[in-house]
Amino acid sequence: MDVFHSLMMGFSVALRPLNLGVAFAGCLVGTVIGVLPGIGPITGVAILVPLTFAIKLPPESALILLAGIYYGAMYGGSTTSILLNVPGETASVVTTIDGYQMARQGRAGPALAISAIGSFIAGTISVIGLMLFGPFLANVAIRFGPAEYLALMVFAFSMISSLAGRNLAKAMISTLFGLMLATVGLDPGSAVPRYTFGQLKLYDGMDFLVVAIGLFAISEVLSLLEETHTGQTAKAEMGKVYISFKEFMFSLGAILRGSFLGFFIGVLPGAGASIASFISYTLEKRVSNRNDTFGKGDIRGVAGPESANNAAAGGALIPLLTLGIPGSGTTAVLLGAIMGMNIVPGPLMFQQHPDVVWGLVASMYIGNLMLLVLNLPLVGLFVKILLIPNWFLIPAVTAISFIGVYSVNNSPFDLLLMIAFGLLGYLMKKMDYPLAPVILGLVLGELMETNLRRALSLSGGDWGYLFKSPISITLWVLAFVSLFAPLVFRKLGQMKNEAVSGEDEL
Amino acid sequence: MTDRITGGLLLLITLGYAYMGYHFKVGFMADPIGPKAFPLLIAGLLFLFILYILIRPDPEPQWPGLKIWLNMALVLFSLVIYAYALVPLGFIATTTLEVTILAVIFKGQLWKGIIASLVLSLTLYAGFVFLLDIPLPVGKIFGG
Repeated sequence: MDVFHSLMMGFSVALRPLNLGVAFAGCLVGTVIGVLPGIGPITGVAILVPLTFAIKLPPESALILLAGIYYGAMYGGSTTSILLNVPGETASVVTTIDGYQMARQGRAGPALAISAIGSFIAGTISVIGLMLFGPFLANVAIRFGPAEYLALMVFAFSMISSLAGRNLAKAMISTLFGLMLATVGLDPGSAVPRYTFGQLKLYDGMDFLVVAIGLFAISEVLSLLEETHTGQTAKAEMGKVYISFKEFMFSLGAILRGSFLGFFIGVLPGAGASIASFISYTLEKRVSNRNDTFGKGDIRGVAGPESANNAAAGGALIPLLTLGIPGSGTTAVLLGAIMGMNIVPGPLMFQQHPDVVWGLVASMYIGNLMLLVLNLPLVGLFVKILLIPNWFLIPAVTAISFIGVYSVNNSPFDLLLMIAFGLLGYLMKKMDYPLAPVILGLVLGELMETNLRRALSLSGGDWGYLFKSPISITLWVLAFVSLFAPLVFRKLGQMKNEAVSGEDEL
Repeated sequence: MTDRITGGLLLLITLGYAYMGYHFKVGFMADPIGPKAFPLLIAGLLFLFILYILIRPDPEPQWPGLKIWLNMALVLFSLVIYAYALVPLGFIATTTLEVTILAVIFKGQLWKGIIASLVLSLTLYAGFVFLLDIPLPVGKIFGG
């Protein structure tokens, strides 16, 4: 069996001492980032990408590290949701509903245990899914021409724009702004300098790391100035982290439903872990809330969403690895990192760099096991991280951001650019312009333009060629539908809410 | 109001972007549309969505008070100085100073901030330079 062979090869890569080490480091750092409310996975990954470049990790090791941070953060995020009612990530917001209730009833132990076990099962299911669907999708995508690729990218942009913020127009402006940034620099097709204002430093284009670290890390520093409380105080009765077999069997259904749902939501471009956990909670409430126990500390209200967000994190790697199209802000940063290592993500990656792809997949198996072993006994230690006051944490994050950006080109100009993007990011957040689409636009912009121009070269300038093949037509239709469907649903939802008024559905 | 003002600004930027795009000097063209078309396409789409924002702005965001703006200006100013001073004065000196300043702005006590920033900058320097082999500026005044 082909997949089996590839996976065995993957394990031989993942089990190298260096890769085991970086997987462990990634999971550990990810968990810490997940626990800290200020820093999300996207910030963590963005800050660490330049460091993986600087220490010249081989591509597969760098990816294993960065992916470990990404799914490790999903584990960590639930801990504070349950113990303190403070979600560490947006993907763990719904976990607070039943998780914190459980903690107040003295059942924090089972809540933490089920979220770790659920995450493990979900992580494993998503890795199996990646193994089964990845090569299949890569085989389909290998037949894509430039017109199909262009349509696929448009689809990804419209998905992420329609899901990213409350205001569709603003999300589109964010996306287009990202594309705008991508056009800065020498035009790859004709070597004409564009929007460089005579600055030689801009000839290579905007470095996505400078933009990402500015928009996410530095802007967060500014946002935190508005917070009134000065630090966290971790005080929660935790008890022993355990779960009875009976309770595990009771939540198994929720875990499996959450895993499958989360996986498929993760595969869709644009819909990441946060949306998966929200939908899973809503679904679980519909399916299981017979005795009206949800919201009052029902263990299934923790098991479902926590499994879903982990499965989604794994699912989101599928479009990234097979198509080269990221589905979320964090995977966009990962894509930028992969391109920075001179690997072109996409269907060819499975043929040209099988060690990277399968090494990553195998390391995720191992990583999930590490996280389970780390999380069950060490939860108490992770919660202690919250005792670090803001006045130390924020300056430390700032200093590490400076190191990261400086190490890219050793240029103070990049640092100034990063600060400017920090201010911009703060203002954008204030005014409801989502940030993730900017990164997606910046990372995919050049590829999008290249495909557009290649397609028109093939057709001799006939724009109709973009809408010729059945695949591209389907993708254009999907793009259009996904852009406007949420608007229609929202309108329908409003009408329904007015009709049933008083129900507070999530 | 906020949305109208930013919308206006964005409109100006978009028009400037399109104007510059239209005037690119193109020597030879390897493909039918050249380097102009993509930026113009972006500008066109942006124009539509900006119009929408101008016509139907969102409700006013919650802007912070004067004191927070002043703090923010202070943070940004110190970051810019940090960026300029990093190479001439070196990582350890500038980071110690910047971390102390930020610690105080984020309501830490001065003496705790100084100790923490010294420990942090020395640890980071040692960790990155000796452990990870990532060079950090020693400082021109120290002969780096």
